[in-house]
Amino acid sequence: MLLELVKRRRIAVGVVAVLALAGVLQFTNTNPAVSQTLYLTAYESGKDPGLNPSNGAWKDAVAVRVPLTAQLGSYAAGGGTVQTVSAKALHYNDTLYVRVEWKDATQDDASTRVEDFSDAVALEFPAKTASTVPSVCMGQADAGVNIWHWRADSDAGLKDPVEIYTGASVDGYPSTDTLFYTARAAGNPYANPDLGAVQTLVSQAFGQLTTSTVQDVQGKGAWANDAWAVVFARPYTSEGPDHAGFGAGARTDIAFAVWDGSQDERNGMKSASQFITLSIAGAKVPGGGGFNSTAVILGAAMLIGFTALGIGLGVYGYREGKR
Amino acid sequence: MPKVYNWQLGREMDYRFEGGAAKRQFAAVFNINRCIACQTCSMACKSTWTFSPGQELMWWNNVETKPYGGYPNHWDVNILELQEKANPGGQVWDPAKKDPKTAPYGTFDGKTIFETADGVNTMATGYIPPEADWKAPNIHEDTSTAIPAGGASLPEHAGWFFYLQRICNHCTYPACLAACPRNAIYKREEDGIVLIDQNRCRGYRKCVEACPYKKSMYRPSTRTSEKCIACYPRVEASDPLTEGLPMETRCMTACVGKIRLQGLVQVDANGEWIEDRKNPLYYLVHVAKIALPLYPQFGTQPNVYYIPPRWVPRPYLRQMFGPGVDDAIAAYTNPTRETLAVLQLFRASQRIVFGYRIEQGPKTGELNVGGQTREIFNDTIIGLDSNGGEIVRVTVDEPTAERPGQLNSL
Ligand code: SF4
Ligand code: SF4
Ligand code: SF4
Repeated sequence: MLLELVKRRRIAVGVVAVLALAGVLQFTNTNPAVSQTLYLTAYESGKDPGLNPSNGAWKDAVAVRVPLTAQLGSYAAGGGTVQTVSAKALHYNDTLYVRVEWKDATQDDASTRVEDFSDAVALEFPAKTASTVPSVCMGQADAGVNIWHWRADSDAGLKDPVEIYTGASVDGYPSTDTLFYTARAAGNPYANPDLGAVQTLVSQAFGQLTTSTVQDVQGKGAWANDAWAVVFARPYTSEGPDHAGFGAGARTDIAFAVWDGSQDERNGMKSASQFITLSIAGAKVPGGGGFNSTAVILGAAMLIGFTALGIGLGVYGYREGKR
Repeated sequence: MPKVYNWQLGREMDYRFEGGAAKRQFAAVFNINRCIACQTCSMACKSTWTFSPGQELMWWNNVETKPYGGYPNHWDVNILELQEKANPGGQVWDPAKKDPKTAPYGTFDGKTIFETADGVNTMATGYIPPEADWKAPNIHEDTSTAIPAGGASLPEHAGWFFYLQRICNHCTYPACLAACPRNAIYKREEDGIVLIDQNRCRGYRKCVEACPYKKSMYRPSTRTSEKCIACYPRVEASDPLTEGLPMETRCMTACVGKIRLQGLVQVDANGEWIEDRKNPLYYLVHVAKIALPLYPQFGTQPNVYYIPPRWVPRPYLRQMFGPGVDDAIAAYTNPTRETLAVLQLFRASQRIVFGYRIEQGPKTGELNVGGQTREIFNDTIIGLDSNGGEIVRVTVDEPTAERPGQLNSL
């Protein structure tokens, strides 16, 4: 318990420091999309993490707290009800695993009633073909993005209302062929009951998000103790031309977005992060847990820097006052 | 937001997209005075389009009893209230600022649902009616405001109700379309029919929220929104049944009370109707002005027009149909010879009538309406297709036959 607390404090210190760094980078006009700000490292797992978010493999992986903000830029703006996600990453057998956890007091995993919206989380990566770090807002022409979108309702499975309202009486349906589920017949992936929990999407501009022809991301979510935990998994290599690419020792970027269904959040109404750096380390997970050393070292350097600056200014002010 | 012209409001207004609307526009006139609330229209639509799992609560066509009924419950009261809150005391018309072509009902000085929205979080003011609100589509059927002891008499009944027939208005400036963040909703250039692309829709329900008429509906079995498709295979004559000639929709042609007439009108880039004097819809809306849009103040420029019920208190009707109500009722109560003839076209044919010709007939009657003497002539009206070919001919006097006495004893 005490150890946990100490660990948490270390992480918190690290986060404060890197946030300060992010501020300075912004202030000094350093492109924040080139994400030197926060680091998420995927070490090799000692055992298969699988898709269950409570698999023991995650115990020793270091959590990075990523701040989220409302999407305020363009229609449909809104969201911002979730302030942070806690992200972990591992790799095992040339597959990347990402585990995201966030606080949400309501488990919204149905979209049966017109007023029901599903909880959801998405990861965003630059496409492997991107020539630069893409805009986090759905990419750009020379740098597309690849999005992995998990929805609680998809994870729970799509049902007809009569299967949910078991007391309902219906005279009968003349036909239940796919043709009469119009969106399904039109090839809409979200209308397909065989849809997995995660959809893989690609985009090269705001408003151009489309479902990828290759669906190779798996995922599973679990809600407990007022929080969701969701695991995503994808082999390093992907057939999808605009998909993210991973590999041992590789570095790329990752961004997060969360939707709270009970707050009617969907589409652009969401809580989203900037890109942070994702590196895939060759090493095994440092035993017995740990903390994000890079972040803390950077943070410590920043703190020392600020302190020095503060002392310097103080001295300067004192001298000025003496004149 | 770009500016577009809304002739029903007599002014420009904000809309998410530039005008550039359709070349032809789906439009209809519903004569409220004649509806018997048999719901044949509702069943015609349901048995054609919405009989499958997930569509249980969907009535693309519904008929509700006003003032208490509504599908979804209280939809109009709710929108009016949201708008009033956004612009307290300001939702008023200036009937004097009138122009026969560009502002036929005067000018609306209040705000539309687009103008009370911020354009960043929402494109139109609205709300999502919860599931419970869709479950009693015919609630308060035939419920009168009072049952007056002295009975009822015109011009305004002391106790009243009326039926309101509702389908999607295939609006010139659809709120559903403006609200869709995925641009999954489109308005067809050839007929102005507004459709939701079932492949693109992601079930965000922004259209359900934005449509002031609540005619975009959510389908849980496909997680998409669906809406009235104006029976487009009939209107565009691709349905084999039409034999290549545009045909009115299912809900129109099934109408037992003969209250409905639907067609296609020509419109310009502003969504204004191009003069087409002998199109029955153009005649009823722009010449006789007896048919009015439903809640034009919402700003979507709806394309279903209503002949208001004669017996209902005028303030209620003015709120619902705008300041054109008094003139419309006067013109309907004492129709001209031409109006009387055009009214005969309602449900005379399944084919869309694009034009008409009237052959004058003899005077066959005289009656007294509100102290005025009215002569009736048995004129014949001939409905024409888009090529000027004859579709149907009907007379003002409905032919009657008397059953020979001896047959009565059978
Ligand atoms: S079929 Fe005609 S008369 Fe019957 S309810 Fe519908 S609109 Fe009214
Ligand atoms: S009535 Fe509603 S659903 Fe139909 S076009 Fe207008 S805004 Fe869209
Ligand atoms: S026009 Fe067709 S789809 Fe629309 S309400 Fe009428 S019958 Fe239904």
